[in-house]
Amino acid sequence: MYEAKLNERKSFLDWPLVLALLGLMFFGTAFIYSASFANESARTLSWFKQLYVKQIIWYQIGIGFVVALCFFDYRTLSRWSIIGYWATILFLILVLFIGTGGVSWGARRWINLGFFQFQPSEFAKIAFIFMLANFLSRPVEELRSHKLFFKALGMIALPFILILKEPDLGSALVFFPVGLSMMFVAGVPVKYLAKFFGGVGLVIILIVVDVLFVPVDSRWQIIKLEPYQRHRLMTYFGKDFAAKDATPTERKQAKLLQGARSYNVEQSLISVGSGGLTGKGWRQGTQYSLGFLPRAVAHNDFIFSVIAEEEGFVGSVFVLTLYTVVLFSGIKIASQARDRLGKTLAVGVVALLFSHIFINIGMNIRLMPVTGIPLPLLSYGGSSVLCSLIAIGILQNVHMYRRSY
Amino acid sequence: MVSFGVLAGLAVLLSGLWWVQIVSTNRYEENLKNQSFRSVRVPALRGKIVDRNNQSLAENRPRFDVNIYLEDLRPQFSREFSNAARAFTNRFPGLKIRGTNLNEVNRDARYRVASNITFQITSKLQQPTILDKARFTTHYQRQPYIPFPILQDLNQKQRAIFAENFTGVMGVEMEIQPMRIYPNGTSASHLLGYIQRHDEPASDEEIACKYYLPDFIGRTGVEASFDNALRGNAGVKSLLVNNAGYRQREEILNPTEPGKNLALTIDLGIQRAAEKALAGAMVKVRGAAIVMDVRNGDILAMASAPSFDPNVFPTGVSTVEWEKLNDENYSHIFNRATYGEYAPGSVLKILTAIACFENNVMTASETINNPGYFYEPDVLGERKILDRAPPGEYNFQRAFIKSSNTYFVHFGLKAGLRKLVEVGERFHLGESTGILPGEERPGDYPHSDNLRAWTTGRVANLCIGQEITVTPLQIAVMTSAIANGGKLFWPRIVKNLQTPGVEIETEKNSFQPGILRADLHLNPKHVGIIHQAMLADVENPEGSGTAAAVSGFRVAGKTGTAQVMKGRVVIDHITWFVSFAPFEKPRYAVVVMVQSGTSGGGTCAPVARKIYEAILKIEKTKSASSATVANRD
Repeated sequence: MYEAKLNERKSFLDWPLVLALLGLMFFGTAFIYSASFANESARTLSWFKQLYVKQIIWYQIGIGFVVALCFFDYRTLSRWSIIGYWATILFLILVLFIGTGGVSWGARRWINLGFFQFQPSEFAKIAFIFMLANFLSRPVEELRSHKLFFKALGMIALPFILILKEPDLGSALVFFPVGLSMMFVAGVPVKYLAKFFGGVGLVIILIVVDVLFVPVDSRWQIIKLEPYQRHRLMTYFGKDFAAKDATPTERKQAKLLQGARSYNVEQSLISVGSGGLTGKGWRQGTQYSLGFLPRAVAHNDFIFSVIAEEEGFVGSVFVLTLYTVVLFSGIKIASQARDRLGKTLAVGVVALLFSHIFINIGMNIRLMPVTGIPLPLLSYGGSSVLCSLIAIGILQNVHMYRRSY
Repeated sequence: MVSFGVLAGLAVLLSGLWWVQIVSTNRYEENLKNQSFRSVRVPALRGKIVDRNNQSLAENRPRFDVNIYLEDLRPQFSREFSNAARAFTNRFPGLKIRGTNLNEVNRDARYRVASNITFQITSKLQQPTILDKARFTTHYQRQPYIPFPILQDLNQKQRAIFAENFTGVMGVEMEIQPMRIYPNGTSASHLLGYIQRHDEPASDEEIACKYYLPDFIGRTGVEASFDNALRGNAGVKSLLVNNAGYRQREEILNPTEPGKNLALTIDLGIQRAAEKALAGAMVKVRGAAIVMDVRNGDILAMASAPSFDPNVFPTGVSTVEWEKLNDENYSHIFNRATYGEYAPGSVLKILTAIACFENNVMTASETINNPGYFYEPDVLGERKILDRAPPGEYNFQRAFIKSSNTYFVHFGLKAGLRKLVEVGERFHLGESTGILPGEERPGDYPHSDNLRAWTTGRVANLCIGQEITVTPLQIAVMTSAIANGGKLFWPRIVKNLQTPGVEIETEKNSFQPGILRADLHLNPKHVGIIHQAMLADVENPEGSGTAAAVSGFRVAGKTGTAQVMKGRVVIDHITWFVSFAPFEKPRYAVVVMVQSGTSGGGTCAPVARKIYEAILKIEKTKSASSATVANRD
């Protein structure tokens, strides 16, 4: 009997979604291989230490999680959401004390588990989606109360502030679009959201103005960002690092610094742009193999540049198409969900994936400032792969249990 | 609503990608090329220079250098850096190396690695060298993708040691560089000229390179005049470099085209003989000697003393050496044969004679009385022109061989300024001979359309070869024309240019011998009289040029001793001997000029004799060897 049930569930797989996922995983493996094999020292590593092999292993583990998730109805799972949420909050606090930074300027984002660099912020996003979905799945009348709205905002704010502390502005900011779209779908009144949205927008504008136009040490600089964050924003907005009254030597130093800070973006733009229509062919890209696109980031945050350089516009559009399939499968699943919980969960996942895709690809072509947001399933990295697959597992779960009432 | 937002976002990404990858792709591709390719100019092998018998005058010899390849040393660089960094943290616990400090530690680590290798290799090669830090650092910063030379020009023993000990050692390589050498040292140095380092490309080269490998440019002589042909066409190779500027791969964009080989008309044997003879004229001789084939204008030898060794220039000459070579009064670089402008003195009496004969103011037999000076108050007022020739009766030949000033001033003034100048102009005095572009001076000779400044006193001076200047080469051309009966040739110094590997016969770039510049239309009778007089100058015991006589080879000549005046004081003499031989059927013209000599006959005539003797000897061995070749056939 158990067997029969499993078979029945399998038929509920969303095939376009599965195919798109397989395509993305294939791309991810191929281009991590390409990006890491340009490096001589990487080439001499034994096969089981190769990044692409590790990535495949992470895919397997992630798929294992997806399968495991499918055994439990998402309603059952959401009952555990409070525990999950607070556990990740605990980790987010922990990471501030025992975290390691890797290549990022003094940031503490990872917890070293020996075999695995655990990145709590990634898991916090998943836990947060469950928590908020669970919280919002209550009668619509209740959602109209101010108190509830502020509670929901509090749920966003807590991980946001902790992640901002690491600091990891990009990951922190992702909580807003995810939270807002979930609240919108759940039925929180639009005027609340609009007010909040307006407020957040105003704050962001103020931050940007403050960062760009107020002298660093004046008392009007209310928001103190890390220097590198400030520089990233200035790079994004094309603003000169040097102050107006800078001396020539300061100007020179500022220019050097600006060159260094905008280096990754410049190089990723060159990679993407020089790919042209059809690209240079797999493993023929020169930007990362010659080290212009820094090897430390080519296979994770800037993997899209590698794909775009080697496969050109055609390849980039193909990747974009795969993501579109994933996202719209998610939206379809959300619309077919049997209850508000499922719908909110699915929308949360779609919003999360979309934010990551938009921010990461946008940063590769200078539409967005540089942040450490990975590209779901394509970027190398255990936490990112696991979380992306778990998120998709949630989608699949909502899909599978849509008719079991 | 959500799907609309997602769609809008994807559309933004799509258009962004379209903008970057389709619309602006050229710009980014350009950026990519700029940062990852370096074109390097590779000079071509310089052409050889040989004499008319294919004897080498300038060639390339392989020079063996030891180079280190910086990209291969990277592992060692980073190892050394880690050690240094560890030492730093041990000394200053808690401090981190960063910023400028980091660069410095890195730079020092690289220098230590390179310096260790340099010292290790050079010690083994028994020539311990300390690596110059500034040189290394500059090279590393500017062109790390070009091998860095640590030791140049290994001798044979060192090459063997290197091959035995360092073959296959990562990052160290022995490489061959062509190096210009002039196997005959100072011989023909003025004619050949010298080359110097010059790495910039010619302006018409297609690809602008940012970096140049050592190249050389000819500065004087044929090395300069035929620089383009000798240099060939430089090639371009394109290096793919990584973000640290190390070389990854190289590709030849334009292959080099080796320079053409240049064959000169000179005969190395005669050239050497001329140089030797000239050098023996006196102590610290300053002068020139030219041997020309009177039948076609080929220059067989052209010597200028003192000479220099062109071998010292490619590697660079110190200021002290340079100044010594360019000493104002004893310049080694200065080519006296083509650049030196000197008063011809009595040598010019040959032209005065032609002017007088052609204007029918003088016959060979007419005699005048010479009191030992020229004094004709109705012509020159109270001025007396002293005559070295003793008082007595003079006909043409006696006046010629004793070089009587009285005689030639007397008749020259009768011929008149216009005629005198016209004859000189027919011989193209005051004009370049066209031997090598930019390698000669025209001398100073009046123009027949502007003679206002010429007073009778100056005309009298002109009759005996004062007031004007000529180059020894002009006089050689003139002497040849007298010898061959009136054919003025363009002197030829280049026989042909050969593309390496192509037979001479098929080569279009041959320079025709015997190109006539002017037919002087000399009256054969006048020529005969002058030839006889020149023969007498050498063979008549009374002649001034008897020291040039060669037994079995009849030499005809004319001596000259010009005064170098400063104001009204004689400060120096220019001595000359012009000649041709053999008298019956002239083949060679030999012109010798020596500054500060005692007299043309005393200083220069013996030089000419030695040259003729050498020519005879060379002719004999040649006919002997061609006879053996004939016998063998």
